[in-house]
Amino acid sequence: MLSEQVQAKTDRELKKYPADQKQSAVMAALRFVQDEKGWISSDDMADVAAYLGMPKMAVYEVATFYHMYNLKPMGKNTLTVCTNLSCTLCGAHDVLEHLEHKLGVGLNEVTADGKFGIREGECMGACVAAPLLTVNNKRICSHLTSEKIDQLLAELDKQ
Amino acid sequence: MINIEIDGQAVAVENGRTVMDAAHEIGKYIPHFCYHKKLSIAASCRMCLVQVEKAPKPLPACATPVVEGMKVHTHSEYAVKAQQGVMEFLLINHPLDCPICDQGGECMLQDVAMGYGGVGTRFTEAKHQVLGKPLGALISAEEMSRCIHCTRCVRFGQEVAGVMELGMANRGEFSAIMTFVQSSVDSELSGNMIDLCPVGALTSKPFRYTARSWELSRRKSVSPHDSLGSNLTVQVKNGRVARVTPLENEAVNECWISDRDRFSYEGLNSAERLTKPMLKQDGKWIEVEWQAALEYVANALRQIGNGAGAEHIGALATGTSTAEELYLLQKLVRGLGSENVDFRLRQADFSADGKRAGAPWLGMEVAEIGKADRLLLVGSFLRKDHPLLAHRVRDAVKKGGQLNVVHSADDDLLVDVANKAIVAPSDLRAVLTQILAALAESKQAMLSNDVQAAVAGVVPSAEARSIAGSLASGSNVAVLLGNFAAQHPEAAQLQRLAQEIAALTSAKFGFLGESANSVGGYLVNAVPGVGGLNAAAMLDQPRKAYLLLNVEAELDTANSQQAVAAMKAADLVVAMSAYKHGAVDYADVLLPIAPFTETSGTFVSTEGRVQSFKGAVKPLGEARPAWKVLRVLGNLLDVAGFDYDSSEAVRADALPENVAPALNNKLDGVAVSATANVAAGLQRVPDVPIYATDSIVRRAPSLQQTRDAATPTVAMNAAELAKLGAGCGDSVKVSQGQGSATLVAKADDTLPAGVVRVAAGHPATAALGAMFGTISVERA
Amino acid sequence: MIQRFFKTFLLLELLKGMALTGRHLFERKITVQYPDERTPQSFRFRGLHAQRRYANGEERCIACKLCEAVCPALAIKIEVAQRADGSRRTTQYDIDLTKCIFCGFCEESCPVDAIVETRVFDYHGENRGDLYYTKEMLLAVGDKHEAQIAKDRAADAKYR
Repeated sequence: MLSEQVQAKTDRELKKYPADQKQSAVMAALRFVQDEKGWISSDDMADVAAYLGMPKMAVYEVATFYHMYNLKPMGKNTLTVCTNLSCTLCGAHDVLEHLEHKLGVGLNEVTADGKFGIREGECMGACVAAPLLTVNNKRICSHLTSEKIDQLLAELDKQ
Repeated sequence: MINIEIDGQAVAVENGRTVMDAAHEIGKYIPHFCYHKKLSIAASCRMCLVQVEKAPKPLPACATPVVEGMKVHTHSEYAVKAQQGVMEFLLINHPLDCPICDQGGECMLQDVAMGYGGVGTRFTEAKHQVLGKPLGALISAEEMSRCIHCTRCVRFGQEVAGVMELGMANRGEFSAIMTFVQSSVDSELSGNMIDLCPVGALTSKPFRYTARSWELSRRKSVSPHDSLGSNLTVQVKNGRVARVTPLENEAVNECWISDRDRFSYEGLNSAERLTKPMLKQDGKWIEVEWQAALEYVANALRQIGNGAGAEHIGALATGTSTAEELYLLQKLVRGLGSENVDFRLRQADFSADGKRAGAPWLGMEVAEIGKADRLLLVGSFLRKDHPLLAHRVRDAVKKGGQLNVVHSADDDLLVDVANKAIVAPSDLRAVLTQILAALAESKQAMLSNDVQAAVAGVVPSAEARSIAGSLASGSNVAVLLGNFAAQHPEAAQLQRLAQEIAALTSAKFGFLGESANSVGGYLVNAVPGVGGLNAAAMLDQPRKAYLLLNVEAELDTANSQQAVAAMKAADLVVAMSAYKHGAVDYADVLLPIAPFTETSGTFVSTEGRVQSFKGAVKPLGEARPAWKVLRVLGNLLDVAGFDYDSSEAVRADALPENVAPALNNKLDGVAVSATANVAAGLQRVPDVPIYATDSIVRRAPSLQQTRDAATPTVAMNAAELAKLGAGCGDSVKVSQGQGSATLVAKADDTLPAGVVRVAAGHPATAALGAMFGTISVERA
Repeated sequence: MIQRFFKTFLLLELLKGMALTGRHLFERKITVQYPDERTPQSFRFRGLHAQRRYANGEERCIACKLCEAVCPALAIKIEVAQRADGSRRTTQYDIDLTKCIFCGFCEESCPVDAIVETRVFDYHGENRGDLYYTKEMLLAVGDKHEAQIAKDRAADAKYR
């Protein structure tokens, strides 16, 4: 079962769409689940499917298509580093290397204390500010340098 | 109409059609993979790129609507170059393992690659690997690297099977066809995905590595498993049926067949096949020659006829027998002086006999179901009993039709049901009466005498009113009675009520039909005449001799307990069967007869379509077509009119040239009772599981491994289950009369109160009694 | 006239003939002392069939049945089944050498170079059935001549 908050938020989302097209809210519903739990398990997908009256497989398709959905626990702060062309040219791989070195984990891994997870991301549409990463898909940190990253990690660590 | 030009040839097509349609109109071939005439347009493979004059780039023919004056070139240098480019891309990740691929030789990718593929590849990087997926016992998805992402299988699930079990997960080069987290594909139409797959990604598991397509000879046949009469292509290798595929017939099965029709062939090669006539002597079975066996049967029948009297001989057949076999069986029995012959073994109510205006049938063409705008489905496990008719119903609903259901179980029909009344079996009549009352009230119509008394004073429930309202608002209404309704103890009254409802709504009405020859059996008069005993009476008042044609008494009858007792008490039981089955316990003679692939014959489908077929392979061992066996028996018993030398000659005698006038669902003189049924105790709701319908299916190993073939459970709603003090998963003992069975309990809240759903036709429940009736349940 | 007389009288033509014979008498002989000696063979020689294995001992044949389909003399008979490890393998692979016309199509059609024709041509059978080669016999031939077979395939590779 989806939690009450997720249900309530999804209901609000559902009002935007015609009553016979409830599945339009699938991306939003998955986002709410991820906001709540940090990731989306296959049970959650089945719950979303049941709630929106759509096939489980259709939810699975959406959840696996968009890389912003975490299909396994990715820590309290998921750091998604863009590795598309502009960022790569501006040193995205240095950023990744620095993060991996600093946190002691590799790509798609979570630190032992569960605070940080590193993911690779697709273009976030802010190439002018390359290289960049997002924190939990919500906050963009741009023009990254080693110092800026250290600063960011320290700040997130304190929360 | 829009006029366009394809490769210089003018063609006019309706507005809204595509270039692909137009090309097909004039017989032009455009290479394609994802396009399929029965599925929606995906335009995902891009193989059908064509050149359209004045268009800036090549366009996919399957997704480009025609425009007046369009000039299309399908094979110009420009178009071919585009197609070759697409082909090169498609082959980038394709493993090219054709030599070990089951699709090799009948593969669209192989064919098209011959025309559009290059000699080598410019792609030197590693090919993408996709892991195999477990999809269940029927479909093999071991080599998903072969997939070209046409999504035909996904669209088939969504649009035809009604349930999206396969989907395309992930993105870009990692996209892969799979099910939701390791689940299997359980649709009863899933086998069609094997045909649809243009490459060898989805292949048949039972057929895996058994033959190559060029080794198989293809013979036309007709499915014996349900009343639709799906057209089949039986593919034969070395005198054995190696696989079965659909034969396209738009009016019957379109281009689909159910898994039951597709995979039942495994049962034909079962080790349980009876290959020599056998006699029981001093309690031991010995193999004998045909001559000896038939003479034994003839003598024994003659003795009983002369001694106890011919009325002590009874003949039972299943509706899966061919019309010729049923005709000869009734002719033989009648020639001996008995009227006891019947093929409606699972029916309980025979009060309509003698009052029918003709043979009960669908009342419409199969294709008309898909066009109905209002449907009333009474007593049917539609998806499992008639997988392809269920597709027609889904089609009707998809086009805006409303489906109304009156039944005792609420199985998911994979379609929106507008209104439903799910009640105990004893209340089905009451619900139909209420619907009729609501209709009569709104239409101010006069009702016929048979139903007047029953309707008088009935106050329709809200459900009945909404069903009546739905039916009354339609212009093309169909009322369909399912197998459950036909097997119901009040079948005649239900039919009478449905007839009346149909009359008030100007609907077509009819029976979906239980078996391949449920119409044919009536047409050849394999039903008791005046003074004869019907199937139920023959078992209720045990006979001295029984002739069984394709019958497994313990599984195919309405009351298996009673049937087996009657068989055991009889002096002579002659079992004509393709298999060694339970009859070894009660029969005296086993005569090996040929199943449908090994004999010629005729099935009259539920829509009255007479379909004859020829044997695809030679009978196994000493087995012989039943019509030949019956003919020789007739000769040995000196019954007149048994000198047939072909099944066509039998058919000429058995069926009229045109069967249409003989089909009529009209029933008069069956009064619908005005008193309500009082239910005592728990009522049994029986379904015949999809893979337990007839002896061939029961012996098809792959079908028996599917989820639909799981051992029956005892399903009750949670409240009833709690009353027993049992929970879901506990084992409980169900009993009827002398017999009982211990099964696993299951909570199913879609079932109404006071009912227990226990399947019939399955060995696990064969010890139980009547399909309908009270049943007691206790904790084991 | 006189010329002709001398020709005849001095047996000139006879001597000419003798000279030719004499020349051949001392020339290198082309007769081969079979079976002690053998004629040279092409690496494309089409003799007795063999089934090959990979270096790890795994049989090459994957039971695709192309050779069976292409065989103009219908000399090949194959039955297939899935082996326990899931791979597609033959359960029966027979060549009836009394039917075979040694056209080499089977070899040509084989996608994995499993069925090959070796340089062996002087095999025999004393009963008719002896020339019905089963899978085991074919594999044995392959095992025996693998070195030569591999060398021949390598020599032919550049023309393919």
